[in-house]
Amino acid sequence: MALRELPHRTVTVLCRDARPGLRAAQPLFRRNASSEAVQEVESTSSFEVPPPSSELVKEYDPVARSRLRRRGNKQLPPSRYQYRSPKYYFGPLHPHQPPPVADPASRLFQPGPFSLTRLEQTYQNKIASDLLTLSYQHYPPGYRAAKTEQRLRQWTGDSPYYKNRPLRPPRGKGEVLRLLQEPRTFRNIPKITNVTLHSMVPEAQENSGNLHVAGMILQAISNVRAVPHRAKHNVVGWGLRKGRYVSLTSTMEREDAQDFLAKLIDVVLPKIKEWPAVPGSSGDGHGNMSFGLTPDQVALFPEIEINYDSYPPKMIPGCHITIQTDATSNKDARLLLQAIGLPFYGKLND
Amino acid sequence: MNAGRQTTRRLAPRTGPSSICRSCRDTISRTYASAAAAAVRTEDQIAQHIPPVAQVSPSTSYAVNTGVVLSRPPQITRDLHPFEAAFFLYQRRLNERLALPFTRYFYFKKRTPADVEWKRKMRQRLTPARDIGRYKGYGEEAWNDELLVGADESNFEHQVGKLLEDAEQSGLEGAADTTGATKVDHEPVDKPMPRVTEADRQHDTKSLNRALQRTLYLLVKNKDGQWQFPQDRLKEENLHGAAKRIITHTGGVNMNTWLVGRVPIGHHQLDYPEPRPSGNLQEHGAKTFFMKARIMAGQVNLKENQLDLQDFKWLAKEELKNEVEGSYWRSVKNMLAER
Repeated sequence: MALRELPHRTVTVLCRDARPGLRAAQPLFRRNASSEAVQEVESTSSFEVPPPSSELVKEYDPVARSRLRRRGNKQLPPSRYQYRSPKYYFGPLHPHQPPPVADPASRLFQPGPFSLTRLEQTYQNKIASDLLTLSYQHYPPGYRAAKTEQRLRQWTGDSPYYKNRPLRPPRGKGEVLRLLQEPRTFRNIPKITNVTLHSMVPEAQENSGNLHVAGMILQAISNVRAVPHRAKHNVVGWGLRKGRYVSLTSTMEREDAQDFLAKLIDVVLPKIKEWPAVPGSSGDGHGNMSFGLTPDQVALFPEIEINYDSYPPKMIPGCHITIQTDATSNKDARLLLQAIGLPFYGKLND
Repeated sequence: MNAGRQTTRRLAPRTGPSSICRSCRDTISRTYASAAAAAVRTEDQIAQHIPPVAQVSPSTSYAVNTGVVLSRPPQITRDLHPFEAAFFLYQRRLNERLALPFTRYFYFKKRTPADVEWKRKMRQRLTPARDIGRYKGYGEEAWNDELLVGADESNFEHQVGKLLEDAEQSGLEGAADTTGATKVDHEPVDKPMPRVTEADRQHDTKSLNRALQRTLYLLVKNKDGQWQFPQDRLKEENLHGAAKRIITHTGGVNMNTWLVGRVPIGHHQLDYPEPRPSGNLQEHGAKTFFMKARIMAGQVNLKENQLDLQDFKWLAKEELKNEVEGSYWRSVKNMLAER
């Protein structure tokens, strides 16, 4: 058998060089959906083109060129070279369409990322593999996970309207479906998705200055515009009146979140005197962990410290920090946060 | 049919349930979907026509070793690819052009000394971020704000130098002199540590202060002159207990290490050309299970090692490839970090 196969294999090895020719001939008689797209793709990379010669680079002076061109006072009409994205979207049939969001000319464009953060690199190179090792669960060969039965309730009855109705949520008030605990693989290692800063400023109902100062502080330490929120209900005990602005949040993602966490863990928390740690009772069971900072502790952020005098000292707010992760349980989320350097104390909430 | 069931089928006739480890056997018989068990049973039924042979003792066995992959994680961020560096610089310059201006009137009331001071400092420094070049948004030549090829601003050393210069300046350089002193004293700023160390230059593979951007692994030379991870035969102990013992037996107590988890991260099987007797068994080879450990502080000291080791090295992944044997490398390479 092996002997019979050998010539075939030899032929394949020998004919490997001849193959590209055959492939080039294929498009003539075979048409795929991607055929046109393939022809559009350039066959060579722009990186293979050598850079311009050093003399050309040295001699190139855009200002001098521009002056030379304008010598006869032949000014180009500016309107033709200044593109402005339309302020409003008039629908897909309008002739003036806004550019894609990734285009710097777009009104929605946001520059970034600006760096590859140290925390991200540490996660990729060290934390992720350690977490995988730590939370590995051995399943012997032949194992098949038990099938999760339907966790939502059926509509039972003979009403014709029950047909194709979405299933009913769990019974009971405040009852929620807990997340499924998938077996840990290299695809679902917990990672940090968002960090949310929340600051409650009930004094803002009397004096809006508190809200402004809190907003500037949140923006300064998070690099994200703070969003104000109104009170939903009257709460006499807390002095809340419905419809007044009482709190601010700013939600950080990606680079902002990584930078904020690095700053918090390496600069701010070590400076706090007798900081116990993150309470072990923290965690909502869905991978989110929260803890709070007092106004004195918020003032330790380097962005606040550098111009501390600019803020009215009594208006500096405290804040809550919520770290949202991919983890599906408190335990996994805590493991991740401990790995990036946040300690926990007290009774653990598992 | 999934791969797991195929593996079971392959395992079942050859070894039988008695050679699966106890915890695995318990789990299989207790909770599994009946599919796996059914597969095992059918194979047993197929094998029923083979007459049973009275087996006195298991004839084949493997020596079980524990290996320790002791590693030092990267200490600094990696060097950026030129494309990444250019992209980040471009985005930072773009941000400078698109960001809202600083809200001066929130921080400084008009015509206060603080406001005057701010204006003077801004006139002096011209731009918020001096390391990436100045942005002039107004005037006849405002359009000319792209970096040319080979500009200083795109050079990493230049950016670091500018940041240091910025940190040194106190902002008093252009201030009106009240004391009459012309020279402003600069407070010296600590230079960042070099990214390439002395040990890097001398290629001192015994040093842990080397290849700071890479993960370093401890490799030892055993009594046969082979380079491999420290390993020893498993005695009456757990894998992680053995790993802790091997670490101290190899490098002494002068190391601060952390054993990551209690499960192995890889294994290597060595088949002997001739079976070797061990007690009343014939050993056909050795299986080594690797445990993961991190070194936090300290250094290996082979002086009092109890594993007859001759030498040690701290090596990155590619360097390790050149030292170990081909088959060893093939079973080990996938458990080592790329960086």
